[in-house]
Amino acid sequence: MATAPAAATGSTASTRPGTPESAGTRSALRGLRCRACGVLQPADERYVCSECLGPIEPEYDLASFDTGALRLGIERGPRSLWRYAALLPIADPPAHAAVGWTPLLAAPRLGTALGIGRLYLKDDTRNPTLSFKDRPVAIALARALELGLDTIACASTGNLAGAVAAAAARSGLRAFVFVPESTEPGKIASAAAYGAQVVRVRGTYDQVNRLCGRLADEHGWGFVNFTLRPYYAEGSKTLLFECAEQLGWALPHHVVVPVGSGALLTRTATAVAQLRATGLVNGEHCHIHAAQPAGCAPVSDAVLDNWRAVAPVRAPATIARSLAIGAPADGDGSVGVIRESHGSAASVSDDDIRDAISLLATAEGVFVEPAGGVVVATARELARRGVFHADETVVLYLTGNGHKQEPAVVSLRDVIAADADEFAVAYAEVL
Amino acid sequence: MGATLRLPTPLRATVGGQTIVPIEASDLGALPAAIAARYPDLAARVLRDGAFGSFITVFVDGEDARYLDPTTPLASAKVELLPAMSGG
Repeated sequence: MATAPAAATGSTASTRPGTPESAGTRSALRGLRCRACGVLQPADERYVCSECLGPIEPEYDLASFDTGALRLGIERGPRSLWRYAALLPIADPPAHAAVGWTPLLAAPRLGTALGIGRLYLKDDTRNPTLSFKDRPVAIALARALELGLDTIACASTGNLAGAVAAAAARSGLRAFVFVPESTEPGKIASAAAYGAQVVRVRGTYDQVNRLCGRLADEHGWGFVNFTLRPYYAEGSKTLLFECAEQLGWALPHHVVVPVGSGALLTRTATAVAQLRATGLVNGEHCHIHAAQPAGCAPVSDAVLDNWRAVAPVRAPATIARSLAIGAPADGDGSVGVIRESHGSAASVSDDDIRDAISLLATAEGVFVEPAGGVVVATARELARRGVFHADETVVLYLTGNGHKQEPAVVSLRDVIAADADEFAVAYAEVL
Repeated sequence: MGATLRLPTPLRATVGGQTIVPIEASDLGALPAAIAARYPDLAARVLRDGAFGSFITVFVDGEDARYLDPTTPLASAKVELLPAMSGG
């Protein structure tokens, strides 16, 4: 079962991070550092700071890397997120489906429509379960296997449920996924198809999350976004790693990121910092922008209200259900990251989201869930404000596939008979 | 029956390893002071300048305390502390 990535073949326990033999293949993890009090702690079973209960994040020995050797190790690595194993917190990556290494698509037609000169789409809808959640789950599952756990679980707005269920199935683990009752049936069905116990809960995502916080204490399960969170969140870095590599080891000047919990946005900033610290990219600027639906925009509202503290949203109301997290764990962290990167934010209406989904699909042939519509609509708003300069690269994160949910955004004409005349009449205005 | 305070695993060592402990606070606004008076080791972990730190979420009978008025009575409430984590 445990097959090392191709690039790791031949590495031994004696290799050090940063050496030509190990660069790009062996984790340079030093420990877990608390973002609140700054204490560096061992990478053991803990999931919050033992001193202050603050969030803890992996820290790496970045100074140990030889830039050229690291780049070569990555470029020779597997066509998956495990090509960045040196910058991930797993000692021995397990066998895996091809998670990550999704395409970065030039999008000139959409760019023209939005008024953006150099537009790219990070098409993460192509992961195994059709969302970027396969990335953090790949890391969390690897950690669960290291810890010898037999059950993984999650609180989910939908996409994570499918990713956890599929990953558990591949590894022979049990899975429990907890979702709000309003979760799209297509997302619930996919999780159930992989054999997970799908627990639908009355209430909002935040209420589901509270339940999972309690259950994480009562059962020895690996809740990927709770007890495995320090590892889980690291998977989100790899989108930006890939974007930089796919741009020829250059940072995009702008990244527009959908925000639910804020983990993807804050880890985008982490990825930028790690790429710079290891010398894999130069000092180009990289502005990070938040995209949220107006019906649940605690981070965007805080940014646009003069960088104030995040105020939770008690009752999210948006078609972008995967972003309907009213009390984001990384909310204030996201606001800080956006400000530090000289980024911005927008919140967009449900109508704007629907229009953006349609525009993206018809201009570029990419069909996304509403979270993707939020990103495209936000890019349109930022372009309208003059945020992007003509010679700057702009990357939009598309994190969930439109085929996973009910086709609410598609309006179809009436059925016609198998009759050419009836066709001609029904479609006269487009012929 | 009085109010109870339920703690997550990382905090139980501060109250002798117990999961649920009694707490006496007239209302939500008085909860931090009540914890500081009765459970100083716990207070040292969860309070900052007399208020709950940003990495702690407080629930009162299942409701997120951020949405409740400080005058919410706690006479027989089930109070729960959890690390502030969420993300779908």
